[in-house]
Amino acid sequence: MPRKRRSHDRSGIAFISPGMLMLGLFMLVPTVYAIWSSLYSTRLIGGRSFSGLDNYLTVFQSAEFWSGVLRVLVFGAIQVPLTLALAFAFAALFDAGVIRGSKFFRTVFFMPFAVPGVVASVMWSFLLLPQFGPYAEILSGLGLKGVNFFSSGMIVPTIMLIVIWEWTGYNMTILFTSLKSIPREVSEAAIMEGASLWTIVTKIKLPMVMPTIVMLAFLNSVGALQLFTEPSILAAFQPQAVSFGFTPSLFVYNTAVGSGQYELGAAAAVILALIIGAISVGGFLVRRRNGEFR
Amino acid sequence: MTSIRQSGPSPQTPTKQRRRASQAADQIDPRLYGLPRAATPVLTILAALFAVFVLAPLLWLLISATKSQADIYTSFGFWFSGPFRLFDNIASLGQNISGAGVFVQWLANTLLYAVAGAVGATILSALAGYGFSRYRFRGSNALFFGVMATLLVPITSIALPLFLVYSKVGLVNSVWGMILPSVVSPVGIYLMRTYIDASVPKDLIEAARLDGAGELGIFVRIALPLSMPGLMTVLLITVVAVWNNYFLPLVIFSKSSLYPLTVGLSALSQASQSGSKAELVPVLITGGLVTVVPLIALFLLLERYFRGGLLQGSTTGL
Repeated sequence: MPRKRRSHDRSGIAFISPGMLMLGLFMLVPTVYAIWSSLYSTRLIGGRSFSGLDNYLTVFQSAEFWSGVLRVLVFGAIQVPLTLALAFAFAALFDAGVIRGSKFFRTVFFMPFAVPGVVASVMWSFLLLPQFGPYAEILSGLGLKGVNFFSSGMIVPTIMLIVIWEWTGYNMTILFTSLKSIPREVSEAAIMEGASLWTIVTKIKLPMVMPTIVMLAFLNSVGALQLFTEPSILAAFQPQAVSFGFTPSLFVYNTAVGSGQYELGAAAAVILALIIGAISVGGFLVRRRNGEFR
Repeated sequence: MTSIRQSGPSPQTPTKQRRRASQAADQIDPRLYGLPRAATPVLTILAALFAVFVLAPLLWLLISATKSQADIYTSFGFWFSGPFRLFDNIASLGQNISGAGVFVQWLANTLLYAVAGAVGATILSALAGYGFSRYRFRGSNALFFGVMATLLVPITSIALPLFLVYSKVGLVNSVWGMILPSVVSPVGIYLMRTYIDASVPKDLIEAARLDGAGELGIFVRIALPLSMPGLMTVLLITVVAVWNNYFLPLVIFSKSSLYPLTVGLSALSQASQSGSKAELVPVLITGGLVTVVPLIALFLLLERYFRGGLLQGSTTGL
């Protein structure tokens, strides 16, 4: 029935085409345009001209850009495992039923998901204000005077704290639902065997929700590498704490919008996209080699 | 994308009875796990400590919204102080103090962007999700994989070139420049596909075809009603995404009258911290409160739909 087949094809294509059209216009076109314009340079005299890979060379040689890349890599390497460990620990305890009022806690933990990153960063900027902020006051009451959360040594941990505040509940919620989908009989049988809670959680349940953890690790890492909102808002309160290229996204934004060098910013954006893509593909390949993807 | 399994979590909300039963089973005697009886209170305190960590900033926001600018800095953040100025602060949201822009305008803009963007995204996601779920055509799997791969593209490499394209086609400082990209939701397409996979039986579609129903008719009269909870989830998730979007509007708008709340509040924090416009601080804080309250209310009212969507994301690949 080739004719029927073809009309079936056509209906399917008709259903997806509005979505694909918008996706093409607002994701594909800008991406291609970014790559194209990164190959050009605009000069005060002479206008726009093809400059090949010059912009890429400039970005590659920029110590500022690479220090930002290094910063988000270190940031992600600490923040993502920390967030996931906290989220999994609470999800497992709620799932095990050893915490009272677990529904209330789950609702509370998830609430920061509804708070825009901008508002979260504004709140924490005031809360962590040196000297006058309530947290500095509480700390000095405890004998820790003069803690500056925005000093050059503390700024990255401070942003980690904000990001952990924002995302732990979201990750916990996903892990909790994933744990809940494990049949009850599994833990009942383990309890009958006399297994401890630690054994049940780490030896039985953790391996079963591993695909979810991998997916979350991936999503959280992509988010960490794109870090922008939190440092850019903190910069309004503590300009000395956040430099021009504090994160790669800030570098892109400040280069393109702040300094008006769109082509250079586009090149940096393409490099950032390639770094994120390489890390994702690399992670995917490692896991496939280990036989974890079917 | 081979990692995606077509598993279907039950879309129906639990009945009252089942909910009561699951609540009773929520708690288990820690001694069954070989833990001392004190484990439950100790672990509950641990959870309470984290709850305090989560709630403290929101409490601070609520309390600070009642203070004057001087009291925000000089009084202890976690308790009330000075005259109760919440209503004066809310009133100041309607004024253009120090020329930084009008908060109420940003709120209206955000509502427009979030509602228009989310409704558009839900419609397009439902259509595309149905197309991917119930039709197999040449290249459909590859295309779906491509849609998922766009999740990897950083927002920075979309928003900046988008601005350049806009400047060529006259969409800079136009509400459409914000609304149109907001209807693109790869996650929405993914969620609708898995939802329809699980809850719209193929046999039902075949039967309707044999009865002579058109393809669009089947979608509207059979598939859509069966996927209502899924549609609701996509709608809510995209509302939150647009409401919280910061980078795109930051790049494409230069007129403060078009700002959404996120960019407006960012502009307010810049203005309030740089030099002589400290009178903007209460506006900033009260504005933050007004930005957060609608979403938290929405979330508390419709929590199960949020969780439904997250659940689907979790059991599959995204």
